Amino acid sequence: MKFELQKGSRSRNLAFMVFAIMAVFIVRLFYLQIIQHDYYASLADNEQITRLKLPAERGVIYGLDGANPVSLVINQTVYTVFADPQVTSDDDKIVEVINRVAGGNARKNIKELLSNKQSRYQILATRVSRLQAELIKKEGLSGVSFQEQVQRVYPEGSLAAQVLGFVDYDGQGRYGVEGGLNERLSGEDGILQSVTDVSSVPLSIGDKNIKVPAKDGDDIVLSIDRNVQSHVEQALKDGMDRTGAKKASAIVMDPRNGKIMAMANLPSYSPQEFNKVTDVALFNNNTISAPYEPGSVIKTFMISTGLDKGVITPQSTFVNTDYIQIEDRTISNATKGQTGTITFQHALNWSLNTGMVTIAQRLGDGTINRNARDIMYDYYHNRFGLDKITGIELAGEQPGLIISPEMTEGNAVRYSNMSFGQGLDLTMLGVASSFSSAINGGKYYQPTVLEGVMGNNGVVIKNQPKLVRQTISSETSSTVKNMLQIARSGTFLSADKSGYKIGGKTGTSQVIVNGEYSDSQTVASYVGYGGADEARYVIMVQVSGKDEILGGSADAGPIFTDISNWMLDYLRLQPKE
Amino acid sequence: MSYQNSGQFTSRRQQNWSRNQNTVAYVSSVKLGPVAHTVLIALMITVLGLIYLTQATRATSYDYQAQKIDSQIAELNTQKSDLEIESARLTALQTVKNSTVAREMTTPNDAQFVSQ
Repeated sequence: MKFELQKGSRSRNLAFMVFAIMAVFIVRLFYLQIIQHDYYASLADNEQITRLKLPAERGVIYGLDGANPVSLVINQTVYTVFADPQVTSDDDKIVEVINRVAGGNARKNIKELLSNKQSRYQILATRVSRLQAELIKKEGLSGVSFQEQVQRVYPEGSLAAQVLGFVDYDGQGRYGVEGGLNERLSGEDGILQSVTDVSSVPLSIGDKNIKVPAKDGDDIVLSIDRNVQSHVEQALKDGMDRTGAKKASAIVMDPRNGKIMAMANLPSYSPQEFNKVTDVALFNNNTISAPYEPGSVIKTFMISTGLDKGVITPQSTFVNTDYIQIEDRTISNATKGQTGTITFQHALNWSLNTGMVTIAQRLGDGTINRNARDIMYDYYHNRFGLDKITGIELAGEQPGLIISPEMTEGNAVRYSNMSFGQGLDLTMLGVASSFSSAINGGKYYQPTVLEGVMGNNGVVIKNQPKLVRQTISSETSSTVKNMLQIARSGTFLSADKSGYKIGGKTGTSQVIVNGEYSDSQTVASYVGYGGADEARYVIMVQVSGKDEILGGSADAGPIFTDISNWMLDYLRLQPKE
Repeated sequence: MSYQNSGQFTSRRQQNWSRNQNTVAYVSSVKLGPVAHTVLIALMITVLGLIYLTQATRATSYDYQAQKIDSQIAELNTQKSDLEIESARLTALQTVKNSTVAREMTTPNDAQFVSQ
């Protein structure tokens, strides 16, 4: 039987309507599923797929205990305990439990915080340890939750605080190694993109899952020896107590490779409680970030220049009258009375400014002419690199300042002052690194606080020392070393352990106040070396204080002696003489 | 002369090929209509769907196990870190200096060296 819809019949009309409705559905579905496919697929992905950050673990910082690495900065997982006052029921129990378990980490006014029922989030305790958090969890307090976070822990307290720096609340390293090596320590966060369930548990279903593992930061090993660092800090503290100085800094480095064994500044702070520091100047590492006029310690470099250029020998002489005229300025000695024909060794022993100006004059055949100034600049700036950024792995290093002879200010008067340590600004690290090269055979090693990186097997992968340049000849270096030993023995022979080669130079520099050298404030410095056959350490000490007159020999020298004698024992060096 | 229909034509080749073949064909008496076919296909699709769901669920259960193990690893790592911190604190220089053993130590007045 052939079924036909009669024209105009109700069945025929119904069929048309059904087809029309179906056509509308089909068109709409085509629009949604084909044309708008990307849009709705994206909406669905946003709903179903979670993109999680896999946080990289910040690298641990080790120091040394002799040859063994020891932890100086470690990561610790801690918890912030918070409550939703609209959900909490037994407030008295919460107060009792938090105070009992969290102790000093609990907020003082928990009861008051919980009574604020308008709030949905009140912090009850911070930096709660895992064990404490577990004890609180066991109590089953309703409305109380935990937020995990990682904090840096400093087992050695404030030891080497300015070298280490700290990590701020944004996870960024500030100051010291934390700031200088922030990128290496941070690592790289990973990514986990996945379909998750309601509890945010990643599921392996779906074809858009991505997992890029986090790359943890490097575990770095510093060349800072905690025993040396601790003794240096104690020696500085004793020195400050003895002299009344307000500030003190010291560097101990190995002249054989440029590695820093200790770097200390007082007063200091605790990196664990950096947020409690009110004077941000405490964060600064003055040995690298506070250039100053070094005073007579610079005479080591003037002597080196004169010897290396062949214009003097230790025993060559000049006539000292305690005064010397350079253009319109008269330069005088701080210590007077060593007049007459004297040797340059004698001039170094008594730290005579006139002797150093005489060397500068001899570089220019009798006057501090352009040739003499060019030679001095070449040695100070190019060879010793006194004013250059050393490139040490610490944040905040500042360059020094040596005026070039090409500038108007680089005249004979300035260069005569520069010969004995005025008219130029240098950091302690700049001086100590260059001094190392002056007594180690003329080899300038880049100063470093980095011993190496901790390998996966717990073995330190050591960095190789970086020899940058030859500053002076090895013969000149040997002569300078002997001259410094003689210079030191004049004052400190009885204080030093006998049988060792110990040399050094004092420095007492006036401070510029309101554009003029002040007579009521000085900075005292001492830089020297010590060892048996070869120099095993270079120590630079600086003490200062507002409106205090401190002397390199009287105030900085004894601190050097304290550290030096201790170092000889610590390094187990056997006397040779 | 009259002609007689001899029946269906069979070619000589077909005669040769058909040799030794069964001449009886068995046909099932059960006849499936279109509805039965549809139901069967629907059932097959359902079974396949169930198999897929079973496998997908099994994979998901592995995800939960993996998540549980990850949590355990994280927990153990936290415990390890806590122990490392405790160890570092106990062996810290200040702790050692303040120990009773260290307090009872004395500084030697003189040291003798054996010649190398």
